[in-house]
Amino acid sequence: MVRVKSRYLLCELVVSDRSRLLLLDDRAIALAVKAAVARTHGDYGAALCSVGFSVKYLNAHTGIVFLRLPKRCYRLLWSALPFITSVETRGQRIPCFLNCLHVGGTIRTCQKFLIRYNAQQLHRMLPKCKNEEEKQQVRQAILSCSLTRGNNEALEDELGGEEEDEEE
Amino acid sequence: MSVFMDLNLSYTADRDALQSLIESAAHLGFSTVAINYVFEPTAKKKQEIPTPTPISELIDQLPIVQGRSRPIRVLNRLTIVMSDSSHFRPNAAEYRSFDLLALQPTTEKLFHAACMLYDVDIICISVTEKLPFFFKRAPVNGAVDRGLVFEVSYSAAIRDSTMRRYTIANAISLMESCKGKSVILSSAAEKALEIRGPYDVTNLGLLFGLSDGDAKEAVSSTCRSVLLHAVSVLRDQEDGQWDHLHHEELQ
Repeated sequence: MVRVKSRYLLCELVVSDRSRLLLLDDRAIALAVKAAVARTHGDYGAALCSVGFSVKYLNAHTGIVFLRLPKRCYRLLWSALPFITSVETRGQRIPCFLNCLHVGGTIRTCQKFLIRYNAQQLHRMLPKCKNEEEKQQVRQAILSCSLTRGNNEALEDELGGEEEDEEE
Repeated sequence: MSVFMDLNLSYTADRDALQSLIESAAHLGFSTVAINYVFEPTAKKKQEIPTPTPISELIDQLPIVQGRSRPIRVLNRLTIVMSDSSHFRPNAAEYRSFDLLALQPTTEKLFHAACMLYDVDIICISVTEKLPFFFKRAPVNGAVDRGLVFEVSYSAAIRDSTMRRYTIANAISLMESCKGKSVILSSAAEKALEIRGPYDVTNLGLLFGLSDGDAKEAVSSTCRSVLLHAVSVLRDQEDGQWDHLHHEELQ
């Protein structure tokens, strides 16, 4: 059958200073990735990057990025990602790195993994909660994890809020 | 889920930086890390081998590894940069307090001696300069038979572009002589932003000339075999941590 296959790379953007994460947008990430690939693999890499590559989704609160890569060269482009040391946006340079969590063939499989991963993160956060009210909120969020769209967004807001609380 | 290890985290005197480094490693999924004390003896004056600070002083509570329920395990490791054969004294008393021993030879003769004779666990391949010697099959095969591993560290490649070329060149020449077995990849990270996740490191292994399976082994099972080799040499009998490891691994 004729079907264009691609690989979706689920990455987490790890920053030392969480508040600066909020400044990022998907174009800044795309530029950073293209620059890194051009630096590592030269003109060939830059050419591969211009065709099938795009940033599908970025969550500024949790730092989750979905990248779409063409199937035939995703390993080459993936091998350039560890060399990203910072992302430039609006004149500021934010030191960070990309940690790849999962590679999937479709967005749906990546979404399923992301929900399980977020549930794990909430579990890790439960012992660190400072008061009973936050614990209740976290437990609610864990119980409401599912694949429907509305709940997914609620989960991510919860995750973003919890992580900001935790950093204070 | 297999066990991922990063056996080279540079020791810095800054406690907070070290703490954030260990937390970052736990967040990424490494279940064991080793703090590396680099010892570089110069001919001029006598220097002492640094003693490792106990883990409980460095960090209060060990963070839990992502995806597992155990806290991260932190070991101590000593790397000796050798430019002369008198730098390494076999069976010195100070080596007992370290869990792992590593050597970084800078000449061909020292490399040969380290592979065949000396009692260490890891041989580091220098990544910051062009290798002055080529790897020959004989010492490399001898080292593999004895259970030694070769280590390539990747954080110099992340920091600087010229270093990147040296790292990849040295790594590829190593892979040609050792056929991709008995190699470990580790970061020589000094800051929390220089460490990379295990799947990213596996991919870097592909750049260095390893095959898919070999690259994954380089981060997981070969590291585990290094730890077992260190235990089996009975170098550190007094350290309580090793008894714990012994029981775990043997079950």
